[in-house]
Amino acid sequence: MMKILLIEDDQVIADLICKGMREAGYGIDHTDDGVTGLSHALSGCYDLAVVDLMLPKLDGLSIIDLVRRRKVNLPIIILSAKRSVDERISGLHHGGDDYLTKPFSFSELLARVEALLRRSSNVVEPTTIAYRDLEIDLLSRGVVRGGKKIDLQPKEFSLLEYLLRNQGHVVSKTMIMERVWDYHFDPGTNVVEARVSKLREKIDKGFDSPLIHTVRGLGYVLKEQH
Amino acid sequence: MSSTFNENMKEDLTGDIEELQEIYEEQGMSTLLREVNQEILTEDPEQFFIRLTKQDGTVLLQSELSNWQYLTTPDVLYDLLSNSEGDVHIARLTKENSEVFTAAGLIGPDLLIYLGETMEERDNLLNDLLGICVVILGFVLPLGAFSGWWMSRKAVSGIKEVSRAVDDLGNGRLDRRVIVHSHGDEITELANKFNEMAEQIRKLISEMREMTDNIAHDLRSPLGRIRAISESVLSSKHTIKDYEKAASDTLEECDRLLLMINMTLDVAEAEASVREPNSQEVNLSSLTEDACELYGPVAETKQIQLSTHLAPNCSIYGNKHNLQRMLANLIDNAVKYTPEHGEIIVELALHDSDAIVTVADTGIGVPDSDKDRIFDRFYRCDHSRTKDGCGLGLSFSRAVARAHGGDIKLRQKQSLSSVFEISLPMNR
Repeated sequence: MMKILLIEDDQVIADLICKGMREAGYGIDHTDDGVTGLSHALSGCYDLAVVDLMLPKLDGLSIIDLVRRRKVNLPIIILSAKRSVDERISGLHHGGDDYLTKPFSFSELLARVEALLRRSSNVVEPTTIAYRDLEIDLLSRGVVRGGKKIDLQPKEFSLLEYLLRNQGHVVSKTMIMERVWDYHFDPGTNVVEARVSKLREKIDKGFDSPLIHTVRGLGYVLKEQH
Repeated sequence: MSSTFNENMKEDLTGDIEELQEIYEEQGMSTLLREVNQEILTEDPEQFFIRLTKQDGTVLLQSELSNWQYLTTPDVLYDLLSNSEGDVHIARLTKENSEVFTAAGLIGPDLLIYLGETMEERDNLLNDLLGICVVILGFVLPLGAFSGWWMSRKAVSGIKEVSRAVDDLGNGRLDRRVIVHSHGDEITELANKFNEMAEQIRKLISEMREMTDNIAHDLRSPLGRIRAISESVLSSKHTIKDYEKAASDTLEECDRLLLMINMTLDVAEAEASVREPNSQEVNLSSLTEDACELYGPVAETKQIQLSTHLAPNCSIYGNKHNLQRMLANLIDNAVKYTPEHGEIIVELALHDSDAIVTVADTGIGVPDSDKDRIFDRFYRCDHSRTKDGCGLGLSFSRAVARAHGGDIKLRQKQSLSSVFEISLPMNR
């Protein structure tokens, strides 16, 4: 079982996260102060940490600094009440792997935790990613499904690559906007839907089983549905 | 605003530590202890703490720490300081319900100073605006007094009239004006100037009132809907499905509220940053191209023709994320308000030393009566306020353009219904 460490001084938020993570099948330990959190983070017992920035005794950024300096390979998601992009950039610069602004939806946090755990377990960087009869080549940027070549725009390719890297798992709209477009705000009406349906036309049209699906209220997933 | 405030706080604390380091190096231990003691005696222990310890944790001097049970211990601080690049470690901690800025630094090899100060978040937009009005009012009173003294030789009655007007205005009678008699040039000029300023204040305050009304209205509707949803599921027995739907509807309404509140804060932040603090070189050509590319499929589904004419390799200095968002806002508006089979043209051209971005569409246009108001916060042409959106996109875009030394204008061109033109200076 994957174990998660939560360092968060807001009891209500911490309870919500603990409950949700246990339901999702993760083990989770929670501490509400920075110093205890740091020693837990350095213990090597955890697969991922979720760290709030403002804490008593030792702040989140210092924790991340010390963890990174000790060369502990621990994926870290930052939680913060600060909305500005500068705060986000400074958090990632200190060695956080992802950043989420409060208030957040739990499903968004869960999707990010899962994506990060998958990313850190794939140590070898592949040059091709495949799913069923769909395959993309990251070097030549070619896409083939069922032996048929498919032409994609550069951004469409990045979007497909992101869905393939997370095959079988839901990725949220916000995650897509951040990873594929580097947009850290809501771009408004249906931008992502229109994008995905265009990609769907190219990938799924003329094939028996569609691969790209919408999960209402959560995001998108690439998988075969029976 | 708050970020400058934070920067100042960091600089002050760092300065404090450097000062103490200097004292120790030049005048030795006893002066240092005297200095720290002085700080302890003069500062309020609720708001400020200071602690001087040795490497093994022995405390040499510290202020009253009963309110500060959440401090980082000396050994962790030594750890942080011994490997960091700078010689001062700044951190933010929580203390009960407020934030604290703390700084730690090594004074000598075996001397650690640790100090900090609480701060209060003061990012309230309306207070800012009120503050401006108070400043203007505060300017009127001394001006009245000064001119009264200066011109008392001339025409006491005129002066009396002006200062009475000042009093009335100060007491909230915003429509009060000075009746101008011809007293001689300076008095007349002063009275006219005073009247102009009073008019300006009246306008500011009435705009602010209208804005507050709009905010209240925009907050009330979603809250009213949330209330109605909860009430309806409580009123009688329902199926699990009904409860689920109520919960997801509530979520949707909350998200809408959050979006609006965050956007309000973002506008305030963009307006407060007169100079962009985190400037980098931004390729405006590719930023505009990306934005158009992003909205392409949405335009396509409405069968809108989106064409671009972009000057290549145009770079400016600025905040990439805010510029991205400004462009996205304008193109999003164009797509939203252009009916099917319409046309949107996005251009980027160089003009003297300015980069000019125009977003033009054949959409519904902006009614003449709204032309001056569309950049105001919470202003919406849709007066019933039922359409999506929160009336902040254009205020945000204007704030960003101005923060980059430029501006945004709404122009008229034949055959196009609205043309938004942003000018951004390239050499700042």
